[in-house]
Amino acid sequence: LLQKKSNVYSVEIYGTKDLEKTETGDEEEKYKDLKGNNKKKKAEDLKKELDLEDHKLSTSELEEKYGTSTNKGLSSARAAEILARDGPNSLTPPKATPEIIKFLKQMVGGFSILLWIGAVFSWISFGIQLAQGSESPFDNLYLGVVLALVVILTGIFAYYQEAKSTNIMASFSKMIPQQALVIRDAEKKELSADQLVVGDIVEIKGGDRIPADIRLIFAQGCKVDNSSLTGESEPQSRSCDFTHENPLETRNIAFYSTTCVEGTATGIVINTGDRTVIGRIASLASGVGNEKTPIAIEIEHFVYLVAGVAISIGVLFFIISVSMQNKILDSIIFLIGIIVANVPEGLLATVTVSLSLTAKRMAKKNCLVKNLEAVETLGSTSIICSDKTGTLTQNRMTVAHLWFDNQIYSADTSEDQTTQPFDQSSPSWTALSKIVTLCNRAEFSPGQENLPIMKRVVVGDASETALLKFAEVILGDVMNIRARNKKVAEIPFNSTNKFQLSIHETDDPKDKRFLLVMKGAPERILERCSTIMINGKEEPLDSEKAEAFQTAYMELGGMGERVLGFCHLYLPENEFPDTYPFDTDSMNFPTSNLCFVGLLSMIDPPRSTVPDAVSKCRSAGIKVIMVTGDHPITAKAIAKSVGIISATSETVEDIAKRLNIPVEQVNRREATAAVVNGMELKDMSLQQLDEILCNHSEIVFARTSPQQKLIIVEGCQRQGAVVAVTGDGVNDSPALKKADIGIAMGIAGSDAAKNAADMVLLDDNFASIVTGVEEGRLIFDNLKKTIAYTLTKNIAELCPFLIYIIASIPMPIGTITILFIDLGTDIIPSVALAYEKAESDIMNRRPRNKRKDRLVNQQLAVYSYLQIGIMQSVGAFVTYFTVYAEQGFLPSTLLGVRVDWENNAINDFEDSYGQQWTKYQRMYLQWTGYTAFFVSITIQQVADLIIRKTRRNSIFQQGLFRNKVIWVGIFSQIGIALILTYGLGHVTALNFTPLRFQYWFVAVPFAILIWVYDEVRKLFIRRYPGSWWDKNMYY
Amino acid sequence: FFLNGLFFFTGLILLFYLVFYGFLAALFTFTMWVMLQTLSSDIPKYRDRISSPGLMISPKPDTALEFYFNKSDAQSYAEYVSTLRKFLESYDDSKQSQNINCTPGRIFDQNDVAVKKACRFNLSELGQCSGKEDKTFGYSKGTPCVLVKMNRIIGLKPEGEPRIQCTSKEEGMVEVNYFPPEGLIDLMYFPYYGKSLHAHYLQPLVAVQLAINSNSTKEEIAIECKILGSPNLKNEDERDKFLGRIAFKVQMTE
Repeated sequence: LLQKKSNVYSVEIYGTKDLEKTETGDEEEKYKDLKGNNKKKKAEDLKKELDLEDHKLSTSELEEKYGTSTNKGLSSARAAEILARDGPNSLTPPKATPEIIKFLKQMVGGFSILLWIGAVFSWISFGIQLAQGSESPFDNLYLGVVLALVVILTGIFAYYQEAKSTNIMASFSKMIPQQALVIRDAEKKELSADQLVVGDIVEIKGGDRIPADIRLIFAQGCKVDNSSLTGESEPQSRSCDFTHENPLETRNIAFYSTTCVEGTATGIVINTGDRTVIGRIASLASGVGNEKTPIAIEIEHFVYLVAGVAISIGVLFFIISVSMQNKILDSIIFLIGIIVANVPEGLLATVTVSLSLTAKRMAKKNCLVKNLEAVETLGSTSIICSDKTGTLTQNRMTVAHLWFDNQIYSADTSEDQTTQPFDQSSPSWTALSKIVTLCNRAEFSPGQENLPIMKRVVVGDASETALLKFAEVILGDVMNIRARNKKVAEIPFNSTNKFQLSIHETDDPKDKRFLLVMKGAPERILERCSTIMINGKEEPLDSEKAEAFQTAYMELGGMGERVLGFCHLYLPENEFPDTYPFDTDSMNFPTSNLCFVGLLSMIDPPRSTVPDAVSKCRSAGIKVIMVTGDHPITAKAIAKSVGIISATSETVEDIAKRLNIPVEQVNRREATAAVVNGMELKDMSLQQLDEILCNHSEIVFARTSPQQKLIIVEGCQRQGAVVAVTGDGVNDSPALKKADIGIAMGIAGSDAAKNAADMVLLDDNFASIVTGVEEGRLIFDNLKKTIAYTLTKNIAELCPFLIYIIASIPMPIGTITILFIDLGTDIIPSVALAYEKAESDIMNRRPRNKRKDRLVNQQLAVYSYLQIGIMQSVGAFVTYFTVYAEQGFLPSTLLGVRVDWENNAINDFEDSYGQQWTKYQRMYLQWTGYTAFFVSITIQQVADLIIRKTRRNSIFQQGLFRNKVIWVGIFSQIGIALILTYGLGHVTALNFTPLRFQYWFVAVPFAILIWVYDEVRKLFIRRYPGSWWDKNMYY
Repeated sequence: FFLNGLFFFTGLILLFYLVFYGFLAALFTFTMWVMLQTLSSDIPKYRDRISSPGLMISPKPDTALEFYFNKSDAQSYAEYVSTLRKFLESYDDSKQSQNINCTPGRIFDQNDVAVKKACRFNLSELGQCSGKEDKTFGYSKGTPCVLVKMNRIIGLKPEGEPRIQCTSKEEGMVEVNYFPPEGLIDLMYFPYYGKSLHAHYLQPLVAVQLAINSNSTKEEIAIECKILGSPNLKNEDERDKFLGRIAFKVQMTE
């Protein structure tokens, strides 16, 4: 089986020979999909280059080929030459976009183009006015400069935000310089691993990371963990023998970035850097296109929408203005005003801030976001393809069940166990615990007495570690118990015996017998037993009891657990006196007719937070797919225990078993769950895979290689899903890149995986993904609110221009004033909306459909523009007319006065009462009008901010004071307005004037109306879901 | 999609917006009405934006305040003349029958009187610039008249003895004559009570006759008129070039 399985892996990774015959077409298509046509050649090269011959060569042939000597190594000079030729032994990091390009992108992206156009128009009209010798051409120059500054400053800000979040990641990608032990100039030298060259002789030992692809020439008990390459978690032994044609299967090659688990070895470096197998896979990953994040698409859509509105209204009114016989120059100035009024200058910066706030919040919850936009992607995720080991599980073996006295007991497998609740009164348990304690070579590393038991570091393999910790939890100081039961002989576990045995003195001073304890594969242990312990008494092992053992063994095995059998024998004192010389080679002691005591089964248990997280995903409409290299039974067991396969659902195989019919006869649609083996997956066509993904809601992919993940991800994406994928190995990087959001493991993840991912899970915990989803959904909702809030006042800024052109009234609001709203009073409130709590049901609804549920939908635009925006405009105009009327210009007088009003030569302009005004007096009044209009918009924006807290619930359900930041926003808004009005009211360039206090309150009734109206809207939406009102008014 | 949305407007939506905007329009009208109710029809609520009057001249050339004319070409100053004539029409004696003769040199306070009387401004006070003797207001003789007036401001009571004084930067090019003499503005024309209460009000005028030196023809003469002699009438505002002063240019050819 192992051999076969390995073939699968190699096929997936490298598309090697055996596959080429059968599935070339398919494979090519996959690569095409991955990298586009031009990259196909590279993929072909990849296959060719992999025809490594080095594993077939003898040591002397190798020495000749690489011009090296196994004893002396390369000379330093030669090594330097090769280093100069091949480059350092490190992976080329993925090409980063040059900083300047990133910066320029910010300068021209989004609304910047529109504002640049506005600035250029301003300068053009400045030029024309200057040429005409007009009186105040500098206004337009300043306006152009201000617009350009706005673009540049918001650009710098966005760039800075982006860079800041990238920097968090930079700290991650910094690798700790690795050392390698090299023989050069006939001396052993410690070198930095990136200095290695082909032909170097390196020595590795247990715990080292393999510094390059090496062909072993000497090995002793060497085992490597190839999991990052093949997904196979069992360490594989390595020797100098050529065992397989395929370079990936042969034992005499160790690969770059895998780890040597135990033993020592010496080898010749045959490939370095990007030419290593891992290097090639990593470069494959960089070929996978980076797709636009959903939020980027949404923002683009929104920018198009607003820009479309701005340009069409601008052009429309430009034409109207020209046909009303205004001067072209004036019309251009109107056009600039309309553009500035329409473009929410501060919004993109606000969005960036909101996203980075969420990113920060997520970082606190152990989701480190690399790309700001990925924050939201997680929220729209509809399928999560999760690893099992380490993500869903605790990544450590733990005793899960015990069987003694003919009964199965469950053990606590939670992360922070301190006691075990099962019944420990039976004398059989006492015997069993003794075997568990004594027949165990694992030990705690010293100096960890203060750590919780489960967190201590243990020297020993996974099973023994589990048993040691289990014993320590129940019995206390295991080392002390072992010391009191001195070990006199020991046979360690080996694959031929499949048992482990040790002989101890007992801690009972009166009992001079030796205790022989043994553990191992249950069937092998049982073979060696003639009795079985029941309630502390030895009873003969008859067929009935053997049957009971079989049942228990099957049951535990069926739960995907690793089962160990335990037996013991007190050696008779007369035959084995104190001084008896135990000899493990000749085995001069009994190893049969022992007494069977019990079974212990172990599993890598699910993290305790995972089942809850999975059920949250389920209620949030997110499909969780488990993708693991583990055995299907174990995978299924874990899937069941965490709820990925729910208790009631069945696989095709389950149904077949229940109905007692062959698998082929089962109606596949009846099965909600599916466990797909990697080998089956390999033979599947894309249609078959799609069918599985479509028809089953609960899917586990077992025995898959990390490479098959890519196929699974692509399958999911074909269903239109937004796919999140977790991964840690280098081989996961193509899948991580391909996924809409790649999530790398912070603890277990390789650097390549972290590089390819959009997000790093600091605690490797699946539950953190779910909190990430929650944050992502929340920010999507909150961005909606922010945008709705920001767009609303754009109408109140736009209407003045339109009315100004149509009704020829004095200008109600200035372009500079608009910028002060967009980039001054409105900024903090719109960021404050990012702190808004969810409206109750965030994790109970389906993920948004990325085609239908837009960030800025029609309802949002219409409600903001045509309803609240218009209300705001009305309120602001009332203030405007009030200010003019109370100064002597009744509304009737104002209509149609624009040309005279703005004429510099008219200095006896008559108002409604017969008084006469100079131009400057009129201008000053106009600025007072600007200020009043500005203040009214600000006051109404306070109401707008409050109503935007919720989209469906009443503000009183949401709590007016729960989000304190909103109040910071409100106070900042009013504060900034006060400063502008009274503090800077005398700086003429800003066009603000001090304002009579009562004008602050003119718009208050309209603000209240906005609030009341929105409450009514929400009430109807809640009362009549699905109604016409709901459809048109809910955004 | 926004436009698509507009096309998809169903009747119900149309009705909704009809009602919605109807309501807003009504609300707007109502608040405006309420606001207007708080205003008096006689005087504006606030007059702080025009605490001090501006100066203006008549005739006012279309292009900036620059007079260009040829004293021997009647066509070249016809527009100025007709403007002046038109401007002085309201000062005609026949139009001033209701106006009373007020006591010169004193503020004519009528706060307690319901019907505010207007003081008579005799055109004869403008002397050679009254248009009576010289129908061309001196333009044909090279002594063009320009009327300087002070902007009407309700309730303004000038202090001291306000008078208009015009000076030219270029000395010796022009000699300025004032009608009434010394460019005095009589206090009896103040205060002004507003259009509705003070319907027949005529603002006092000062005629400035510029006797342009015969060897200064063809030259552009810059003239600045200021209001002097009254502490509460500003004439040196940095930003407002017309507050209590006015600058214009005259260029005469022969």
